Amino acid sequence: MTGKQNILITGAASGIGRASAQRMAKTMHVIAADRDTAGAAETVALIEADGGSATAIQVDVSDKASVTAMKAQIEKDIGPVHKAFFAAGIFIRGVVGEIPENDWDRMINIHVKGTFLGCQAVLPDMVAAGKGAIVNMSSDFAVMAVPGAAAYMAAKSAIYSLTKTIALEFAPHNIRVNALGPGPIDTPILQSGRTAQEYEDARNMLADKLPIGRLGRPDEVAAALDFLLSDRSSYMTGQIVHPNGGQLMW
Amino acid sequence: METMIVTGAGSGIGLGLTRKLLTEGYRVAAWDAAPGDLADIVDGNLTFHQLDVRDADALSDAAAAAADSAGRIAGLATCAAIYKTAPFLEISEDDWNDHLDINLKGTLLSCQAVLPALLDQGSGSIVMFSSLIARRGAMNSAAYAATKGGVLGLCRALALDHARAGVRANVVSPGIADTAMPRRVMAEADLFAKGDDIPLGRIGMPEDMVEAAYFLLSDDASFVTGQDIRVNGGAGLF
Repeated sequence: MTGKQNILITGAASGIGRASAQRMAKTMHVIAADRDTAGAAETVALIEADGGSATAIQVDVSDKASVTAMKAQIEKDIGPVHKAFFAAGIFIRGVVGEIPENDWDRMINIHVKGTFLGCQAVLPDMVAAGKGAIVNMSSDFAVMAVPGAAAYMAAKSAIYSLTKTIALEFAPHNIRVNALGPGPIDTPILQSGRTAQEYEDARNMLADKLPIGRLGRPDEVAAALDFLLSDRSSYMTGQIVHPNGGQLMW
Repeated sequence: METMIVTGAGSGIGLGLTRKLLTEGYRVAAWDAAPGDLADIVDGNLTFHQLDVRDADALSDAAAAAADSAGRIAGLATCAAIYKTAPFLEISEDDWNDHLDINLKGTLLSCQAVLPALLDQGSGSIVMFSSLIARRGAMNSAAYAATKGGVLGLCRALALDHARAGVRANVVSPGIADTAMPRRVMAEADLFAKGDDIPLGRIGMPEDMVEAAYFLLSDDASFVTGQDIRVNGGAGLF
């Protein structure tokens, strides 16, 4: 309807998802999906104020019925999905001995099942088009680990594994699937569950540990996303790219 | 106007990157042992400097010349490399030394020549080239594989040493690509047939590697340092 190709971005209500929606809106129509409809609407307003076009849509990425309904609505109102960035995520701290089953399930369902369901939903459009590009949100923690967040480590590793498998399965359809593995980025996830002082301390502690000496910005992750979704990376698939300030080198 | 320095600029990926950088509006200092196909490029922003990357003095002179031209030095891409195959027990000491001296030490010396200017500015981006072979190995390629593994370590150490000074350093690791390099060790038909075994169904093109290098050189990669961008069509997923 807009004459542009459509990109679906989950987790678009805040942080990296929002910055990515703003960046991709420079060239595409953005479908800003999130559980937080007010946040998604705000992202759309920011994009429109900048001269882009976007549509907000509600979804619970961990629920198949919700993802299916979202896809049906996109198909009806907007059209096929050409590219996708699955960025919906949450962060719950907890050492292995103390993680409640419910926390574990939420982490795995939102991150891993959410990525899986999202890919399942959009891949048919890309197969039909004979091309496509997907980026999944992993983390440095797909490869490295720190204590105190086992479910997050497991979820992000699983997303990277899933990315590689989908990349191999859909390469014959000219669909590329890559992952982003950000390091510490200054986003609402860093603030969640922390007081203002704890947040400030966490920022300083993380920045001090990073080779580059500062936290990353959401727009810096979005710039790497743009590379991975564009034809500039047309020979890359199954890879994980780390905008991480040098936190992890492997 | 900003300057980018490219070693191994006379052919293959280095040549492609030189063309890309000129198109994007950079002044390019193109360094190579021979001008190669650079001779075909007519562009006032291209300066060819004939040198051997094993020659620290020549590199230093070339870096000084590049710094003298107007504008900051935005970055360095080290593309100069050789690749010869031989069964492991038949690798001559001379061939081993040539690989190590050109591919690895040549990268170190090139960085040492250009880094002072980047540190003075407090900014700059370095891109080195490793290879899928560094991680996966390849038949009869021990000397080359050793140098390309070495580049990964060299890059990470350089990145750590200079991250806080505003200098980023990253690696592009190509899979097999449509350049002169693999043609020295295999027939034309065999080269393209390799694409059948690659998930994306083709061998790489120089442009694929050029775009990855350009991304890393650019501000789009402002939070990316010490990384290895693997441009291999999905051939090396590990």
